[in-house]
Amino acid sequence: MLKYIAKRVALMLVVFLIIISMCFVLIKLLPNKPAEQFGKDKQLIEMRREALGYNKPLLTQYLIFLRRSLAGGDWGISESLYLGQDVWSKFMEKMPATVAVNAYTMLFSVPLGLLLGIYAALRKNHWQDHFISTAVVIFVSVPSYVYAFLVQYILCYRLRLFPFQVQSGTDFFSRQMFISMVPAILSLGFGTVAGLTRYTRAELTEVLTSDYLLLARAKGLTRAQTTVRHALRNAMVPIFPMILGEFVGIMSGSLIIEQIFGIPGVGQLYVASITAATPDYNFFMLLSAFYTLIGLLSGIIVDVSYGFIDPRIRIGSKK
Amino acid sequence: MSRKILALFMILALFAAAALADGEGVYTYNSAQTEFPTNWSPHQNQTQIDSDLMVQLGNGFYDFDYNEDEDGYKVIPQVAADFPVDVTADYVGDAWGIAEGEEARAWRIPLRGNLAWEDGTPITAGDFVTSAKLLLNPTAQNHRADMLYSGNLVIKNAEAYLKQGLASDTALGTIMEAESLSVEDLLAKYGSEPGCINWGNSFGDTYDFDAKAWTGEAEDAVVTTPLTLSDLYAFYTTGEGRAYATWASDEQMTEWALEELFTPYMQFAGAMDFDQVGILAPDDTSLVLILAKPLSGFYLYYSLTDYWLVNETLYHACESETDGVYNNTYGTSKETSISFGPYRLSEFQSDKTYLLEKNPNWYGWSDPANEGWYQTDAIRVDCVAEVSTRMEMFMSGLLDVVGLDKDHIGDYATSEYTYYDEGDSVFAMVFNPEHSALKTAQEQAGAHINKTILTLKDFRMAMSLGLNRQEFCLASSPTNEPAFALYGGQIVADPEQGLFYRTTDVAKQVVVDFWGLSDEIGEGKLYADADEAIDSLSGYNLEMARQYFDAAYDEAIAQGLMGEDDVVEIMIGTPNETSAFYNSGYDFIVNNYTEAVKGTKLEGKLTFKRDATLGNGFGTALRNNQVDMLFGVGWTGSTFDPYGLIEAYVEDDYRYDPAWNPDETMLTCTLDGEEYTANVRTWQHAITNETVTAKKADGTDAELNVSANAEQRILVLSQLENVILQNYDFIPLMGDSSAKLKGMQVEYHTEDEVFPLSRGGIKYMTYNYDDAEWNAFVASQGGVLNYK
Repeated sequence: MLKYIAKRVALMLVVFLIIISMCFVLIKLLPNKPAEQFGKDKQLIEMRREALGYNKPLLTQYLIFLRRSLAGGDWGISESLYLGQDVWSKFMEKMPATVAVNAYTMLFSVPLGLLLGIYAALRKNHWQDHFISTAVVIFVSVPSYVYAFLVQYILCYRLRLFPFQVQSGTDFFSRQMFISMVPAILSLGFGTVAGLTRYTRAELTEVLTSDYLLLARAKGLTRAQTTVRHALRNAMVPIFPMILGEFVGIMSGSLIIEQIFGIPGVGQLYVASITAATPDYNFFMLLSAFYTLIGLLSGIIVDVSYGFIDPRIRIGSKK
Repeated sequence: MSRKILALFMILALFAAAALADGEGVYTYNSAQTEFPTNWSPHQNQTQIDSDLMVQLGNGFYDFDYNEDEDGYKVIPQVAADFPVDVTADYVGDAWGIAEGEEARAWRIPLRGNLAWEDGTPITAGDFVTSAKLLLNPTAQNHRADMLYSGNLVIKNAEAYLKQGLASDTALGTIMEAESLSVEDLLAKYGSEPGCINWGNSFGDTYDFDAKAWTGEAEDAVVTTPLTLSDLYAFYTTGEGRAYATWASDEQMTEWALEELFTPYMQFAGAMDFDQVGILAPDDTSLVLILAKPLSGFYLYYSLTDYWLVNETLYHACESETDGVYNNTYGTSKETSISFGPYRLSEFQSDKTYLLEKNPNWYGWSDPANEGWYQTDAIRVDCVAEVSTRMEMFMSGLLDVVGLDKDHIGDYATSEYTYYDEGDSVFAMVFNPEHSALKTAQEQAGAHINKTILTLKDFRMAMSLGLNRQEFCLASSPTNEPAFALYGGQIVADPEQGLFYRTTDVAKQVVVDFWGLSDEIGEGKLYADADEAIDSLSGYNLEMARQYFDAAYDEAIAQGLMGEDDVVEIMIGTPNETSAFYNSGYDFIVNNYTEAVKGTKLEGKLTFKRDATLGNGFGTALRNNQVDMLFGVGWTGSTFDPYGLIEAYVEDDYRYDPAWNPDETMLTCTLDGEEYTANVRTWQHAITNETVTAKKADGTDAELNVSANAEQRILVLSQLENVILQNYDFIPLMGDSSAKLKGMQVEYHTEDEVFPLSRGGIKYMTYNYDDAEWNAFVASQGGVLNYK
């Protein structure tokens, strides 16, 4: 197993380097001109761009990036979005808000999704199953920002149960902060609940009709015992990696939800770093590197997790 | 007894604190922004949103206030204790380059004696000098450093100190002017230096010196060639370059070489001490500014409405340097901010919220002029990106103002709480009608595609008359109004008198001439006067537009510009594809012109494409013919200096249409009954404090300086505006007005907008309810307010 993990990590680093190199070249190919301002001293602007290395050959810039950022961990300063501020510090300053909202969402949506899925599977073809399945189709089909606007309009504006925006500050464990996050958590969670419900129901339904479960019942186990000890455990083999993936994704943020509920997180950073009138190279490269690494690592973690969930699966074994 | 009094006092204090906590007696102004300030350092701020925060944390030397009748503005001392005193005579000599008898070259600004930072640390004149040194720090390349030398206010040696030792690609003409050299002397002195050129600007093509062939592509940037400056000059004026430019004469090539060839050149001294920069502090409350060129009156005060003061200790604490690149984080967080203005930053969370509270150490509290004002105790600004959320928050009483967008303006257009603000800019539809570039572009676009019809003025006039501006505004940005001239209504022609340019007769005449209404004005005619004619304008005349479309088509066929099977394809450039304005605007333009050409010879033959990848480079993209047309573009700022702003429409660096040559376009102006003729560029210089030479009607030369005469200056400005409009390459589209809803908690000082004070701002804002009363009022209304 260790050998397998080491091999995967080595391959991951190669893929990471290739992706990052491509990102570097592509972002540098985008037009990057300062805004035309009447009366501004263009020479002064050019002096700063020269100092920042904009005019160096692309290969030289790439080597500086490799040395300073990838090897040295210094991701530089923001050159347009947050002028003059350290991009890593800024990213880390904004990350907790994103993680908090997504973590609360997971804590609410994973158990609910599993429970609804199990219930629907156990009540297959009854009205409860039909009701849950219909709701799931609706929530999977409708984009989350639609719920977000509805949640905000009904719960915040009409019923005045929650504030419009997430509370300011960084005390993410306070009661007030949690209450202010509820509309965002609900908006983010509906989709996850629906997806997990559908997946759990499908997996569990299949397992529940297996011969070995019939045998377990025939041996005298109760329905609850067979469901929890045998059916659910087997159904979890494909479901657990999905949940793991969702947890890894809590750092990715949601552009629209963060925007609607005023969450000062990282959701908008990536898009803004490219779509800004003058692209912010350093922010873009940091975010590209970070999310590429998260994506690649989560792939390895998910693969390895199969072996832990189901000991019959032996990844990397030659036998 | 004393214990009882103390206990009673403490109980009262607790009650008071509890009451204040509920907002009793506290007045908070709540607003929301879609974007948030990121850098409000006086040396680095970038956007209007940054400035909005900056102006609460500090003041300039001078500021605007209402005049006595509150129908206009006046300039008042702010950080300065009084208006500046001309002390030029005290600084005569070679050190500052001031000759005996000169005036308005050195000014002493008396400062208030009680200036202090929010922590109580006194501010002296020396702090302004130190801050200027930090602003001009050559290693920092501060974005705002040019406030001390670029514009009307030119501090002696400020630019030279900032750029000491800097060698940059400089046009030959600039070097000749700086050193008073002839071409021969220039080549003798610098001929062995590397020769540089901007191929995109010069030929629109690149010559490969190794392959000895033209490549067909050109970059819009100054690049170094393998030739020396002398060889490159020969290439340009007599060699391959000359042979390539078949469109130009020998004289033109010789003239253009001075503008289009470059070489690395050190314009300023290799090293300079800050003592040589014209900012001095003779004592703690006197600051002396020594200028490189005379400046006085309004423009001096106006140049000093911004500030450059920073707290030296905090500034140094925010400095860092990596691999020789200087950086400073002053003014990027609560910890890196310190105020000397009326409010201090007491809370800041990036992209979320900030809170400003009264700065107890502000010098202004002891000023009688502020007595009774500044009722606002705190300013809360939230970052709320979604307009629907902002509207719901406003209706719930959580915001005191909300901007109206196109989805909401219809509901509140006639509300008594709706206020309209007119901006100072005109946004236009612009074309680049340069023939050879359009021809190249149309060849690249494929067979039977035509673009060169854009070179015909009739076609561009048809485009102007065929656009329904009112509908365009409703579709793309309903708070805006159609525009019919180069300058909008807020442009001030005579700031000393508060005279707005568009209210002058000559400016009105430009509009009626441009729209062909001159013959319709007068007794017994369609319009009684110019005002009535201008009020009637819509800019939309479909019948006439169709005539021009047909005329343009016939002319294009006759000149061989297009064939009968060709389809006109106009590439429209936009900065991005996410802006609702550009998306709606593009769709409207396509539909508008598709309908407009119906029944004409261009029916079904006028098509549009869109390049939405231009970002900030949209102006360059048009000049380089990457796109054929832009819309919604224009120049902002310079409200008080329309004479300087005309440069944006004339100078090569800013002008959208490179095909128009202001050196060859002649203009005749009648001044004091005498006709004077000169080219457009000369007239542009004439209204910016330069003495120029113009030809009189009898052919003799006359030296003119129209800047000294306000009436003549406005007249020449209007003539320049007319010439530019008549090109039909910059077609006025709309003004940048906006609309907002004011909350019931607050009142503006004046109902009408008084430029540039708007309706009084924070200083003059008054409250109908304190925070506690306001919450109770909103609750009594069921939590949702009705503003319709």
